[in-house]
Amino acid sequence: MSTIDYLLHGLATAMQWHNLLFVFFGVLIGTVVGVLPGIGPMSGVALLIPITATMTSGLSPEEAATSSIILLAGVYYGAMYGGSTTSILLNTPGESSSVVTTLDGYQMAKQGRAGAALAIAAIGSFAAGIISLIGLIFLARPLSAVAIKFGPAEYFSLMILGLLAISGLAGKSMLKSLIMTAFGLLLATIGIDSVSGVERFTFGVPELYQGLEFLTVAVGLFAVGEVFKTILEKDSSEGEMAKINRILPTKQDMKDSAAPIARGSVLGFFIGLLPGAGAILASFFAYIMEKKISKNPEQFGKGAIAGVAAPESANNAASGGAMIPLLSLGIPSSGTTAILMGAFIMYNVQPGPLLFQDHPQLAWGVIASMFVGNLMLLILNLPLVRIFAKVIQTPAKYLIPLIIVFSVFGVYAVQYSTFDLLLVMGCGLAGYFLAKNDFPLAPLVLGLILGPMMENNMRRALTISNGDFMIFLEKPVSLLFLFIGLLWVTIPLVLKLKGRKVLINEEA
Amino acid sequence: MNHSFDRYAGIVFGAIGIFFMAGSSTISSSAYGSSIGANIFPLFLGGCLLLLSAKLIYDTFRKERAASAKASLDYKRFGIIFIAAVLYALLLESAGFVITTFLFLLIGFQTMQKGRLAASILIAACFSYGIYYLYVHVLDGSLPGFPAWLGLS
Repeated sequence: MSTIDYLLHGLATAMQWHNLLFVFFGVLIGTVVGVLPGIGPMSGVALLIPITATMTSGLSPEEAATSSIILLAGVYYGAMYGGSTTSILLNTPGESSSVVTTLDGYQMAKQGRAGAALAIAAIGSFAAGIISLIGLIFLARPLSAVAIKFGPAEYFSLMILGLLAISGLAGKSMLKSLIMTAFGLLLATIGIDSVSGVERFTFGVPELYQGLEFLTVAVGLFAVGEVFKTILEKDSSEGEMAKINRILPTKQDMKDSAAPIARGSVLGFFIGLLPGAGAILASFFAYIMEKKISKNPEQFGKGAIAGVAAPESANNAASGGAMIPLLSLGIPSSGTTAILMGAFIMYNVQPGPLLFQDHPQLAWGVIASMFVGNLMLLILNLPLVRIFAKVIQTPAKYLIPLIIVFSVFGVYAVQYSTFDLLLVMGCGLAGYFLAKNDFPLAPLVLGLILGPMMENNMRRALTISNGDFMIFLEKPVSLLFLFIGLLWVTIPLVLKLKGRKVLINEEA
Repeated sequence: MNHSFDRYAGIVFGAIGIFFMAGSSTISSSAYGSSIGANIFPLFLGGCLLLLSAKLIYDTFRKERAASAKASLDYKRFGIIFIAAVLYALLLESAGFVITTFLFLLIGFQTMQKGRLAASILIAACFSYGIYYLYVHVLDGSLPGFPAWLGLS
């Protein structure tokens, strides 16, 4: 079957009525998650995994996985839409990748052009979503065809590259993110070893035999940690909310933003492909590029519509691009895709080169659903933007305790254990203090998810080579990956030594 | 940046590294004729973690800087909610989802902002029973219900 056939099959899957419902809820919840300052896409996706698990319990395993992933992916790109709303109206980004949007978006809102800015952000996000999907369709299969030839040694090195790339770009200190990565990988070794069956670091505690559940750790670190931060630091930003007068942009606005949207989308897509780069870097680069290209750069920062269009398109395109390494290589390139990967694994679906062969219905169903979801977002966002703006005003007083309740409920509904609930609280506390002191959390979760796969591939490779570690250097592809990984870590260091400012990715 | 936190974190992570290295020495080192056992990966990573944290501790001594002004933290509010959350987690199974959630939400709402008790009670009640009803009766999920001694089943 050709790619087009697969895509049409996927579209048929995505158009089933229950899947349409799932896409709808996914993008709706995602937009709300993006709008609410307390929760970002990572905690949003993590909190929804248990709920989707129950909602899909009546379906066959494959269908259940498809529907759940459709919903969770919807939350992911929906949050990218929602994030722009608060940036423009309140000057506070709802999630970190719309930081740049505040620069021009809020200025536009002050000039009474909030509606136009919101509409352009939505249109740009839609165009970017479609462009990155086209890229996804054409790149995912060839990439997995290459990846399928990889042996364990190549895979191990590829994961090393992924982890190093994310550590190199995450947070303010590379050292700290490397520490968090190593710590996450170590936590992943707790439990029964899947190769030999021996127990490791369990101390006879029965709850530890199955290992630390990634969902528990992710909910604790991101959702509960963020809540603790809000409680402790009283960061109730009571900003002045800009009014929305007219929603549809003028013809001139459309003309001015068409090219920035196209450029931002393409750039964002390619940055999204890179491990560790993610949506924040994409939006930053897109903004900088527009400023460089623009005929009147002095307009930027004073309400230039290109300064909203380009970064908003870029961060959406990046979230689509980030799906490619996840689906075709099985390697998440950002925190949110890592959590999505955890959801795949919970449904016993291994993302990676075999995904398109073993679960074509799922893979293409999810891809096609992203078309549908982006369309829904556009339709939802233009008329409903006023309602979403109201969501911002949800008082923190009610929101904070409710997020804790949802975390407890979500974890308990999947794990059924008090131990995991206490672990959530512990992780929340640790997450707060670590994040506060610039220890990035995403590498830890990534390590926790990739740990078992990495270890299995390493041991398989070493078994093939009879314990000789040189196998990782003797295979050319593996050597190449390790070399790129090394460059990824050393180049920022060298640049820093030279006194250059290095752009970093705070979400990662 | 808080250097004393970094130093303690470095010590803790270093200790974790040593702990995993020591722990992996007790794990069997071979499996099914392969010379590579379950101990290699944690041993190696423990070593990495130890080296990295040593560098972190070293850095904190090298770059001694004045501590930045501390933002006032609301420890009282946090303490109440945190203890309530831990109790919530501990009592969830014995006292049931609805009762514990209701109490936790009520405490949470009132701690965040005193007053408007009636609204807090109403919202807490709606959410605690609403989630339970939706999840257990509509979605057929499973949550600890009401305690048996209440006789509500």
